[in-house]
Amino acid sequence: MPEPIDARALRRPCAIALIAATLLLAPLARAADPVVFATNWKAQAAHGGFYQALVDGSYARYGLDVTIRQGGPQVNNRPLLPAGRIDFLMTGNLLHAFDNLKNGVPTLQVAAIFQKDPQALIAHPGQGYERFERMKDAPLVLVAKDAQFTWWQWLKVTQGFRDEQLKPYTFNLGPFLANPRAVQQGYSIAEPIYVRREGGFEPVVHLLADHGFDTYSTLIEARAETVRNRPDLVQRFVDASILGWYGYLYGDRHAANAAMLRDNPEISVDELEASVALMRSQGIVDSSDALRLGIGTMNATRIRHFFRSMVQAGLYSPGQIDPDQVATLQFVNKGVGLDVKRRLTEKR
Amino acid sequence: MSAKIELAEVDKRFAGGVEAVQALSIAIEPGQFVSLLGPSGCGKSTVLRLVAGLERPTAGQVRVDGLAVGTREAAISYVFQDPTLMPWASAEDNVALPLRIKRIARAPAREQARQALAGVGLADRARALPAQLSGGMKMRVSIARALITRPDALLLDEPFAALDEITRHRLNDELLALWAEQGPTALFVTHSVFEAVYLSQRVLVMSGQPGRLVADLTVDLPYPRAAVLRLQPQFLQHCRRVTDALERDRLPAGAGRP
Amino acid sequence: MTRWRAAVLVPAAAGLAALAAWEALVRLRGIPPYILPAPSLILRTLWDNLDSLLVSWLYTIKITFGALLLALAGGVVLAAAFALSRTLELALFPFAIALQVTPIVAIAPLILIYVDSTTASLLICAFIVAFFPVLSNTLIGLRSADPNLQDLLTLYGATRWQRLRWLLAPSALPYLIAGLKISGGLALIGAVVAEFAAGAAGRETGLASRILEASFRTEIPKMYAALTLVALTGVAIYLASNALSRALLGRWHPSERL
Repeated sequence: MPEPIDARALRRPCAIALIAATLLLAPLARAADPVVFATNWKAQAAHGGFYQALVDGSYARYGLDVTIRQGGPQVNNRPLLPAGRIDFLMTGNLLHAFDNLKNGVPTLQVAAIFQKDPQALIAHPGQGYERFERMKDAPLVLVAKDAQFTWWQWLKVTQGFRDEQLKPYTFNLGPFLANPRAVQQGYSIAEPIYVRREGGFEPVVHLLADHGFDTYSTLIEARAETVRNRPDLVQRFVDASILGWYGYLYGDRHAANAAMLRDNPEISVDELEASVALMRSQGIVDSSDALRLGIGTMNATRIRHFFRSMVQAGLYSPGQIDPDQVATLQFVNKGVGLDVKRRLTEKR
Repeated sequence: MSAKIELAEVDKRFAGGVEAVQALSIAIEPGQFVSLLGPSGCGKSTVLRLVAGLERPTAGQVRVDGLAVGTREAAISYVFQDPTLMPWASAEDNVALPLRIKRIARAPAREQARQALAGVGLADRARALPAQLSGGMKMRVSIARALITRPDALLLDEPFAALDEITRHRLNDELLALWAEQGPTALFVTHSVFEAVYLSQRVLVMSGQPGRLVADLTVDLPYPRAAVLRLQPQFLQHCRRVTDALERDRLPAGAGRP
Repeated sequence: MTRWRAAVLVPAAAGLAALAAWEALVRLRGIPPYILPAPSLILRTLWDNLDSLLVSWLYTIKITFGALLLALAGGVVLAAAFALSRTLELALFPFAIALQVTPIVAIAPLILIYVDSTTASLLICAFIVAFFPVLSNTLIGLRSADPNLQDLLTLYGATRWQRLRWLLAPSALPYLIAGLKISGGLALIGAVVAEFAAGAAGRETGLASRILEASFRTEIPKMYAALTLVALTGVAIYLASNALSRALLGRWHPSERL
């Protein structure tokens, strides 16, 4: 039978043991998983949540050492994911997901940050383009290279646009500003701000989502193999990103904005803030199902519905792919971050 | 037709300060065949170029047929040391070139060229390219070209220097035959004493730099000249006189004009 | 084995060996098609998409040869102008050099802003890339005429145009051909790169758009199929320039002797 122990006498050796254990185990605790996340554009407010998670420690707290790799006008990060060069990829819309499935590229969408696709067509006011139907008669429609092969095809089939109108959008507002009859693509949360700054007018904006292009946007995409072999990593990345988005939309954005300015010096804090305001007013991120199930929510019905409308638009043949195979819902719809949102919005 | 060639107190100084020719006075009667002989660098090619109008004298006058060079249409032909043929054109097109420049149409020009080539024994090579011709043949083409315009003055700058001796002798005779036929005034530059004596009526000996005339020797052997002449004593005597003139010029002291 | 047969069989054998090795590598290592497709898959994809790829191929070829012809015309005309006027050359040459070194990837979007038609802008871009070797080489060629022939033409009183026609142009031809051999490939590169930087979709699209489209839609075998067509075009251009060179220079120029 053990003798009674004098607790006080044990205090010093315990303290030493504790310190030693902490020092020994600390490196283990700090060993985070390196993760590379590639975006589809230069840093802008539409990436804000990810940068927020980076600078406010969300990724770190979830044991992730994340590197954000920008995209850009001449950059196509898409092939890097199946090639194993990056771990997660920001995907602009579900058409990319359908194409991957069609071509046997084994990737999966694991979260949808934008419930609404901000892809839009913008035009000069007072030219009759206040009605969307008039845009298909525009003499000039400026569309960028990657869009030419995705949603432009949808516009041609379902909305009556023609290739004769098309000219490449090289992300220079010049041709649009110079021609009052021109129409060009834009992000509803970005281009109007630039047009206001450089052209001095408020453009007419028509969201494609309002006309039947109701895809999710800014999805997080991962290799199927990663989902299969390291689901815990995926879950952590998704959760931390979601928390970052709540923090960016409702909390203190300064550090995240500063990080984005470092990556993309051509943008300004005013523009970032204006963009955030538009994101909130247009309900891009936190709307419909996300209000209930948390940012990043996806559901199979909506994906199927979007696929059907793309089949009707002639982009795919019926039964060519099974839309249920492009995404997995296992990592979202758990209400992650709702408490954070409550906390942040109550403070105001 | 033939022209009188004159140089009057001609100096030629080149840009680098090189004085090629100094106080040179030469008069060649129409129809004469004159050789210009001297060591390398004595300015004999420069004299030829001055007569052709390719160089302007620094001082003095160069006259062909009484008129300063360049003021009349070129009735002067030039045969270079190198055959100077256009490598992309056939023999007949090369020979026809002067006629084409005179705006004679292709067919008649070629016809004349073929005749000229026949005159130098190359009738069957009219369509050949220079790359397919031997050195001697190319030189014949060059001479045919020079004579096709029936020039008043024919200038030749060591044309046979690069050929073997047998070909050279043969071409000497052909040249004399052609000259006899058309009768231009011929000025022939050479560094071969034997050639100078064999071909010409007069041999002008020039000294080394700066070029001056040191001897003007008449060769009174009759035309037409045959190869056998080279073995005859009169020939050798003339050669001796020319050689003496050359040697005299080389001696540092006591060098006088004959 | 005759030289001609060797020239065909050896590269063909080497190419087939490389393709076989590639196919083996992909199969043995089980490399997925979206990383590195096997040649058999690429060929199959090429066959399946032949009609659409063929249309794009024709467009790219159209731009390439259009630009090459423009480069030829522009380069030769400018070279002739520079050869005739030194002042003009000194004034304009810096612009030519500036155009040559500015990357077409940067210029292409700008040109698209100023020029309305996509085809015209692509032609301009490809022209900019391709014209300098023609200009530079032709100018050197025009200046490399045999000086003796130059003198001959002076002697015959040739006008500047006659000189150009009879001497300078044929002299420049080998240099021009050399420049053309370089420009042929450059025109293709210019056409493809310009379209990458600034091309459109739908009508008026070449292979670059097909490559981009395949890239954006992660259809890697199709990318390779389109790239194969680009490579084949490059080889065809090379062979065509060689044939042209042989046809124009084969009879007389040393470069074609082998």
